[in-house]
Amino acid sequence: MRRRTEILHTLQGFVVRYCYPLLAFFIVAFAVPAWESRENWDVLIVYTLLSIFVSFTAIRTANFVITLNNAVTFSAVLLYGTWTAIWCAVIEILIIAFLFRSAIPKFLANAGQMLSTVWIVGMVHQWLASLQLPSMLTDTALVFVYFLINTALCSFAISYFSGVKTIHVAKSLVQDGTLTYVLVMVLGGIGARLIEVFGAPALFPILVTFVIMSIVFHQYFNNLNSLQQKMEEIKHLNDSILLAMASSIDARDPYTHGHSYRVAYWGRQLARAIGLSRTEAEQVYYGGILHDIGKIGIEDGILNKEGKLSKEEYHRIKQHPVIGYHIVKQAGVFEELLPAIRHHHERVDGKGYPDGLSGTEIPLIARIIAVTDAFDAMVSNRPYRKGVPVEQALQIIKENAGTQFDADLADTFIRLVKRYSKEELEEVFRNSGQNNIKITEGAS
Amino acid sequence: MSIDIILLSFLIAFLRGGRIREIPRFNRLYFLLASILLQVCSALMPRLGGILVSIAYVFTLLFFFSNREHEDIRVFMIGWFLNAITIWSNSGKMPIDLEQAKKLPYSLEPIVNGTDFKHTVLTEDSNLPFLADIVYMPFPIERVISIGDIFIMLGAFLLVQRIMNKPISLIQLREGKGYAAKN
Repeated sequence: MRRRTEILHTLQGFVVRYCYPLLAFFIVAFAVPAWESRENWDVLIVYTLLSIFVSFTAIRTANFVITLNNAVTFSAVLLYGTWTAIWCAVIEILIIAFLFRSAIPKFLANAGQMLSTVWIVGMVHQWLASLQLPSMLTDTALVFVYFLINTALCSFAISYFSGVKTIHVAKSLVQDGTLTYVLVMVLGGIGARLIEVFGAPALFPILVTFVIMSIVFHQYFNNLNSLQQKMEEIKHLNDSILLAMASSIDARDPYTHGHSYRVAYWGRQLARAIGLSRTEAEQVYYGGILHDIGKIGIEDGILNKEGKLSKEEYHRIKQHPVIGYHIVKQAGVFEELLPAIRHHHERVDGKGYPDGLSGTEIPLIARIIAVTDAFDAMVSNRPYRKGVPVEQALQIIKENAGTQFDADLADTFIRLVKRYSKEELEEVFRNSGQNNIKITEGAS
Repeated sequence: MSIDIILLSFLIAFLRGGRIREIPRFNRLYFLLASILLQVCSALMPRLGGILVSIAYVFTLLFFFSNREHEDIRVFMIGWFLNAITIWSNSGKMPIDLEQAKKLPYSLEPIVNGTDFKHTVLTEDSNLPFLADIVYMPFPIERVISIGDIFIMLGAFLLVQRIMNKPISLIQLREGKGYAAKN
């Protein structure tokens, strides 16, 4: 399976790195004879000016910027044929080549993609024209052909360079920009036909339309952006409240200073390592921040006691997950974090507390926090003992995988921490405010 | 070169509220000087003209390349590159379309009889004719320009806007971010 994906990736690389640029070369060579003939020069000059102009006329939507080049190129296909469209693409490619500093393979692939799109669309256009259908119908159909080919070739190349699957790249391209793209192209098509009938003066209303459109989009998305900014602010506020709560837990017990932060940090890293989405990983993070909130309800005398706890005291400590659960539940916020708070002391063999859940009965978020909580508890210093070296803590986690900890999570976590250099580990602890952790003999 | 375009650019920059703050610095100015010197030489030594002009274009490109941190210079580079490949492929001279050139008020004699050091007549045998001087430009000063010259004029306009402390960033325009912040 792995071999197969490797072969496919190499094949994709071959197409993107060599076939795309080669296609670009042949397509330009194909168009040169038409450019050389004197009667076509007026068209070339007009389309040069147009292409330069539209290269710097962008329409911006929420997460997508589109220039009008495609619309102009499309009108060139409709009005004069493939050679004009190739010229437009070449002008845009030149501008991109000189103005932007992109890596050469990426630039060549992009050039190949643009030229191939134009060339294929030109051929489809000729075929459609031979069908003798009304041009307004075929024009509209051609818009979608243009869009599909462009998206397909583009996502194939982006997929190679980014390592994301072609289909996912295509999906995000379609989701982000389709409507604006198609709108601009349809207008380009209408513009072409208008120019066909009324000549160059028709450019005037078309350009005015585009400029106004660009302004309207600009205003609309500015408003949207400011809304989004407010949302961000609220989220930020949320975060600060969570962090304040976490520090209030940590403040009760100077020895565990930064514990919640580190549990949260490792939790997020582990969540990412097992392939959870960004939002889910963030949830794990906040679960980590809040997991010990119940300790607010435990008496200082027990919490900070040096030496062995009595049976009652230990029983009292064991209630902190339930106390935390009730605090947060009553507050009616962060409901998605409740499992992390209540169940982070459960064990997969069912011997944990408070509910004695076992295996996958324990919510994933709690199983993650259980591992990272134990890890940080071991490596950080406590009133009654010094922290153990990282290497040893990982060994203990390994020994208890499958009984105390979820075996897969423990395994992934050990590999995750081992990838950290000594300096990086120190950095994690420094960021959380504790820097007297024993990392020597630690992870390599 | 195109003094009218430069003056016009200054006027526009002035109307946009721009004022000269400092004279821009260029890296490796000696490339540019070498290029100018070579072109002067080519005018004096018509037999070596083609080679000298071709080399002069290499030096100008090197000069632009050394200053490519500025967007306007990069736009210059597009134009200069297009003109350069035309000149290189036509043994050191820029072909000019007589059909367009006839509209100009001055004599075409030196071009037709081959004494013009930089231009030659566009014929069927010229290479890359579509990049040669084929565009008749009636305003502000009558002239026949090439596609590359369009980029050079755009570059000159942008350079002047920058000198006048009102830079326009094409990259930001393309990315939908409006005008650039001041340098």
